[in-house]
Amino acid sequence: MSPAEIAGVTAAGVVAGVDLVTFPQAMTARPLVGAFVGGWLLGHPMVGLLAGAVLELFALETLPVGAAPYPDWGPPAVAAGAILAQGVAADSAAGVWPGLLVTVFVAAVVARLGGWSMQLVRRANGAAIRLLTPRLDAGDPRALVALQAGGFVRDAARAAALTLLALLPGGWVVREVTSRWHGPAALAEDGLLAVALGAAAASAWRLFGRGRAARWLLAGLVAGCAGALLWV
Amino acid sequence: MSALRGVPGFALTTARLFGLQSAWSYERMLGIGFGHAVEPLLRPLRAKRGDAAYRDALARESQFFNAHPYVSSIAVGAAARCEVDGEPPERIQRLRQALCGPLGALGDRLVWAGWLPACAALGLVLLALGARGWAVLAFLALYNAVHVALRVWGLRAGWRAGMRVTVALASPLLQRGLEVVLPVAALLVGFALPAVLVWAVRGAGLHLPWWLAWRHVVAVALAAAVFAAAAARARGRLTGLSLATLVIGVLVAGGVVWP
Repeated sequence: MSPAEIAGVTAAGVVAGVDLVTFPQAMTARPLVGAFVGGWLLGHPMVGLLAGAVLELFALETLPVGAAPYPDWGPPAVAAGAILAQGVAADSAAGVWPGLLVTVFVAAVVARLGGWSMQLVRRANGAAIRLLTPRLDAGDPRALVALQAGGFVRDAARAAALTLLALLPGGWVVREVTSRWHGPAALAEDGLLAVALGAAAASAWRLFGRGRAARWLLAGLVAGCAGALLWV
Repeated sequence: MSALRGVPGFALTTARLFGLQSAWSYERMLGIGFGHAVEPLLRPLRAKRGDAAYRDALARESQFFNAHPYVSSIAVGAAARCEVDGEPPERIQRLRQALCGPLGALGDRLVWAGWLPACAALGLVLLALGARGWAVLAFLALYNAVHVALRVWGLRAGWRAGMRVTVALASPLLQRGLEVVLPVAALLVGFALPAVLVWAVRGAGLHLPWWLAWRHVVAVALAAAVFAAAAARARGRLTGLSLATLVIGVLVAGGVVWP
């Protein structure tokens, strides 16, 4: 990956990472978006979309609710799309599943780290607020601007670090492990899809598994299976 | 609404609402962002009642606040209106505190548990139907149409209502939205799961005959059901993501040591 590509992917990772909580929460942090952008930046948007769809199934569990710790999928998803697109450029499309399996593993680990790093940023924000409390209590608008800007910069730095972590050491891990893959591609494909769909089904049941919503969930499942029956 | 267009600072407050959580902290949560967003609407206080009134109001509005970031705009509008109207500070503080719980619950149900999963599932369904990159654009456009509308509507509704902000919360549009969004989200998420499965299996470049593709699909669906049941049982001790990471790690190791 060239320095320009690394810079582009990192910038996209920052946009996605900052979007989750800080600004503007427009859901560019969702893996479907992030991985698509990552793949597109490396010239293979469809490969990015495949990674994004799989990661999105895991991310259905993630609801950015207030103080609760939750994984940050944005930066690792952007990196995952780019890593996978780079792998496709160097390899054949038929071998995408083992690479995708390892990429998803790396993205999941980095997303967990992302959740932890968000808590660090929040503590740093708290420390900055404590320092400026006298000015806040005096109603100084410049103190508010300074705190908002400081929070934004901290979160942007966090997102950049996460993207680079997923892209460089993470990308190296993906390449090394994938090159040592001896199992059948179907193991990677079926295994990854089963885990992703199982995780999504568990999240869906947790969200909609009660009362009227449960009936709608089952109706959707039946309709989806009927559509799949016709399709296959 | 026409009266609002003439309110100085309204556009700036609307823009600042999108950064409501920039200085999120465990002590004040959204408090700093709240103060930052409300500040342009408080500027007329300087001319009306002097700099001290403006600064007192700003200090009050930067205290602890916690709710869903989108519908917090209702509280921002209501609090600004109360400050400009010269309501007693204790009443304004009580109003802000009283709004935290209802606005948090409203936004969590309407957006996080309803609209977001609905749009994400629709994006996946469109992708499965062959929309390619358009699926992503459709997801972003649809989600943000409601997201932006909710923030802007909330600010206007809060400003109009002031101390009577419960009127805004009882808006028929909001109540109808709450009734509709959960079933729609459930239906779409249910539909998306088999659709993504078939799309991924068919799109893998395997070009399988139909009977082999079926074996593939059924095997994955059964394994997914087993994983979902295991994740549901492990809940409380292990999140779905932790279990998934563990299983994927085992699969990766299995693929590497495969003879």
